[in-house]
Amino acid sequence: MLGYLARRLAMTIPTLLLVAVAVFTLVRLIPGDPVQVMLGDNADAAQAAQLRAQLGLDEAFPLQFLHWLGKVATGDLGHSITNDLAVLPLILERFQVSAVIVLVAVAAATCIAVPAGLIAAWKQNSALDLAVIGSATLLLSIPSFWLGLLLLLLFGLKLKWLPVIGYVPFSENFWQAAVFMLLPIVTLTVLEIGVLTRMARAASIEVLRLEYVTHARAKGVPEWLVLGRHVLPNAFAPIWTLIGLVLGHLLGGIAVIETVFTLPGLGRLLVDSIFARDYPVVQGCLLFTAVIYVVVNLIVDLCYPLFDPRVVVA
Amino acid sequence: MRWHANTVIGGALMTLVLGTALTAAFWTPFDPLRVNLRARLQPPSSLFWLGTDEFGRDVLSRIMAGAGTSVVMALFTVALAVGVGVVVGCVAGYLRGWTDRVIMAVNDALLAFPGILLALAMMIVLGASKSGLVLALGLAYIPSVVRVVRGTVLSIREKEYIEASRVIGNSELYSMVRHVLPNAMSPVAVLATSMFGWVLLAESALSFLGLGVPPPAPTWGNMLAASRPYMETAAWLSIAPGVCIALTLLGINLLGDSLRDRLDPRMAHG
Amino acid sequence: MTRARRPSRTTMVGLVALLATLAVVAHANAETLLRTRLNADIRSTDPGTNRDANTDGVMAHIVEGLVAFREDTSIGPMLAESWTVSNEGKTYTFRLRQGVKFHNGAVMTVDDVVWSLKRWLDPATQWRCLSEFSASGIARIEQIEAPDAQTVVVRLDQPTALFLPTLARPDCGQTAIIHRDSVGPDGKWIAPIGTGPFKLAAWKRGQYIDLARFDGYAARSEPRNGYTGAKIAEVDRVRFNIIPDSSAAKAGLLSGSLDVINSLAIPDLEDLKSRPDVQLSITPALGLTGILFQTRDPLLKDVRIRRAIALCLDTTQIVDSVMQGTARPNNSALPIGSPFYGEVQAHGYTQNIAEAQKLLAEAGYHGQPIKLIANKRYSFVFDSAVLVQAMAQTVGINIEIEVLDWAAQLDRYNRGDYQSMSFVYSARLDASLSFEMLMGPKASQPRKVWDDPEAQEMLRQSMMTDDAAKRQALFDAMHRRFIEDVPMIVLFNGAELAALRKNVKGYAGWLYPQPRFWGVSIQ
Repeated sequence: MLGYLARRLAMTIPTLLLVAVAVFTLVRLIPGDPVQVMLGDNADAAQAAQLRAQLGLDEAFPLQFLHWLGKVATGDLGHSITNDLAVLPLILERFQVSAVIVLVAVAAATCIAVPAGLIAAWKQNSALDLAVIGSATLLLSIPSFWLGLLLLLLFGLKLKWLPVIGYVPFSENFWQAAVFMLLPIVTLTVLEIGVLTRMARAASIEVLRLEYVTHARAKGVPEWLVLGRHVLPNAFAPIWTLIGLVLGHLLGGIAVIETVFTLPGLGRLLVDSIFARDYPVVQGCLLFTAVIYVVVNLIVDLCYPLFDPRVVVA
Repeated sequence: MRWHANTVIGGALMTLVLGTALTAAFWTPFDPLRVNLRARLQPPSSLFWLGTDEFGRDVLSRIMAGAGTSVVMALFTVALAVGVGVVVGCVAGYLRGWTDRVIMAVNDALLAFPGILLALAMMIVLGASKSGLVLALGLAYIPSVVRVVRGTVLSIREKEYIEASRVIGNSELYSMVRHVLPNAMSPVAVLATSMFGWVLLAESALSFLGLGVPPPAPTWGNMLAASRPYMETAAWLSIAPGVCIALTLLGINLLGDSLRDRLDPRMAHG
Repeated sequence: MTRARRPSRTTMVGLVALLATLAVVAHANAETLLRTRLNADIRSTDPGTNRDANTDGVMAHIVEGLVAFREDTSIGPMLAESWTVSNEGKTYTFRLRQGVKFHNGAVMTVDDVVWSLKRWLDPATQWRCLSEFSASGIARIEQIEAPDAQTVVVRLDQPTALFLPTLARPDCGQTAIIHRDSVGPDGKWIAPIGTGPFKLAAWKRGQYIDLARFDGYAARSEPRNGYTGAKIAEVDRVRFNIIPDSSAAKAGLLSGSLDVINSLAIPDLEDLKSRPDVQLSITPALGLTGILFQTRDPLLKDVRIRRAIALCLDTTQIVDSVMQGTARPNNSALPIGSPFYGEVQAHGYTQNIAEAQKLLAEAGYHGQPIKLIANKRYSFVFDSAVLVQAMAQTVGINIEIEVLDWAAQLDRYNRGDYQSMSFVYSARLDASLSFEMLMGPKASQPRKVWDDPEAQEMLRQSMMTDDAAKRQALFDAMHRRFIEDVPMIVLFNGAELAALRKNVKGYAGWLYPQPRFWGVSIQ
């Protein structure tokens, strides 16, 4: 197992290296640079050159890349050009916010989607099934940020039940933090319920057709036991894959939701730093996102044997 | 049967959308670009059925024109992603070996980027324009197509009729095009319908973040983004495009479902 | 086992009374907190070095310099009591105020002033205004000395009208006089120890900056005026919350979690006007929004086409619609609030469709597309572009808007790589600087829009002399040329919009787009 892990991790290194090169190049292809943004319309060439030299932006690209890569290898992602904060701690701090929203939303969505999908598959083509699949399709057709805006308008401004701005870290005050996170989590959950229900239903239908289910029913096993012990664990594998894909992508940044709810998350950090041309932060964020994506996929792969003993991982 | 319901509702919605797009090419109640500063932010009335925006432009006309723009751009984007993705995926899946490894390494690297951000960065590089948007989003979705196509190709290539084709003496390319490709198309077709929806959403997300189709041309995405400061005073500005996006996506998803059900009959019967 | 005795009734009453008293006392001693907003975190607390607009705004509450800007953009005394100019404008002798205290309790002496000035001029400090005192700047500082305990003398190598305005520049930290303990023994910045009405209490990165009232503040006697006058802190604490999203800030104000928000976006105005618990502060500003032309462009180098565009616009309608009555149209390079803005400057372009069409015909324009760059970061820049395009369309001018993000647009601006763009300039506090930001030799400064050697000479003269009448004559002449030449079309100067909760008293916006929280109290 350890050997497998080591091999898998080793295989990701070329991908990550490619990502690093791509990120570095892409970011510098974008017109405009941080020095111009900082100096605004009031910059003369001398000031700009001085600032560029100070920030190390006047070196040749390959040199800059090697410097950066060298630091990354030691775990130092550099410092933000905009406000001189160390990049890695900044990313981790922001990541916590995004991660909480994503993990809670996906977990909540799974708890609702899996039973719903299972029941819809069980009663396939009935009115209940139509209702479930219809709702799921509708839910995933709603643009998430539009939903977020509407919820904000309703609960924040019209009804005044929930706060509209602000954020308190969980470490400071759990309940206050929870209140601020409620609407964004709900928004994301609603969307993911749509996505996951459909997959849960599809996977359950597949399994329900299989022989051993018919066999179990013929033996007289009660229906709920059939569903719970035979169908669900076996249907879970594809659902789990989808959860992995979804998590991997969402953890990369739910930038738009964070913008609507003004939360200091990773997605916002990335978008803001792209607009500010804050190279170290953009590079750090994208690299971090790629690593998360890879790690999540790895964890997903490692969990398959839990659902399907036939699957051999290593 | 369920897929009948899907086809009917999905078909109806898409006909509505495409019909609106087509009509808008010839006629809209008002000129969607005509600025009328004396009629700013009017609520829906008998004159302006969906009200007017912050420049006094008729919202209904802009919705109609936006239908055209959004749909055409989404079609081009999907065509680009599918066109390139199928070719690359086939090559990778059929040839295997080092070609496959290199292609998949690059592909995985691209997939590890959050799609929106890749598109955002590309748009800044290419410049905000309709073609820039198509290019940026198309590029962002190619990796997904490559993955799906390669997976299908891998499973098909070992099948017997491929072996038979090789034994007869057909070239690799012929075998690939004649036998492998058609069978890979059905998952791609399903993916393409989902992608159409993602592109619509991505376009509005990009507009929201500040970089969508440039003015004054309307798209549902940039109308939704522009409505944000007026959410409280002029709610109709955000409801109309949001509903349109939602209904279009619903239609697409239902059609996609019915397509998948037809291609995979097991799903339709219990 | 003995049972615990219940407290007697008297004890209970006594306890309640005590708690009530404590509550009353606590409430009476409750700190008054003014909550406001920044749209991004500050860059550092070292004034005038690593800074941006937000940083300048906060630092202006903590530090002060020898001189400062008044509301009408003239220069008034701050830490200096008075000054004299001698030696044909090359020597400035400042008489210092006495009894001014730093935040650490030390009294400001002439040594602190000399030390601060020398520190700004040290290249290692990276002071933003350092280049102004180099060969390419306004003058060189030859000597700073302190002949006695109340006087500082600065000698320049040539006369200039811009010495005091440069010292007062808020984006250069107002050339703050700080205590030497602000830096460590190695010269590294620690924290600002200034003379301002507030001191830095806390800086929680990414979340907020807290300023606390400085009880030992030595206020001037004359009333508050711009960045000078009496700057008395009337609240105990000011908290600048970092809220990048303006909709969120607005919502915070409405829900009561913020007291003041500045730099409102125009669309928010409509909504806030009707709220009973909110009051608005609208003051004209010194920025400049306009349409820039690249006079070297093959199409736009023909002044007739540029003039045609200027004449087809109904600037009043654009300004009214884009700024919703908070700004007035202005085609002059000088802002309406400038002391040099007069009859001549009020004369700009009048809409004349027939003339515009005639000019286009003469120039042989037949519908070639003209690209107009705009950005979404500033709604008024974007909206102006949309309206200009629509109005130009009516005379057959085919403008295509290209939306870039701000950084990309700045890049194109700096390189002069555009046909036209809708752009906003930040405030300039002196009339010469208002022209200087627009004009210069394009060969060495590609970002400048107006390259006219004769006008350039007039500008140079306006910077050298202190004589108001002479400068007015020069600015008038430059304005007439500017309107003739149409290197750009100035549209308006913008407005500084702030929204406050009804219980905030004493807030006043002014020309410079920065808030002042001294003299402000909460009822």
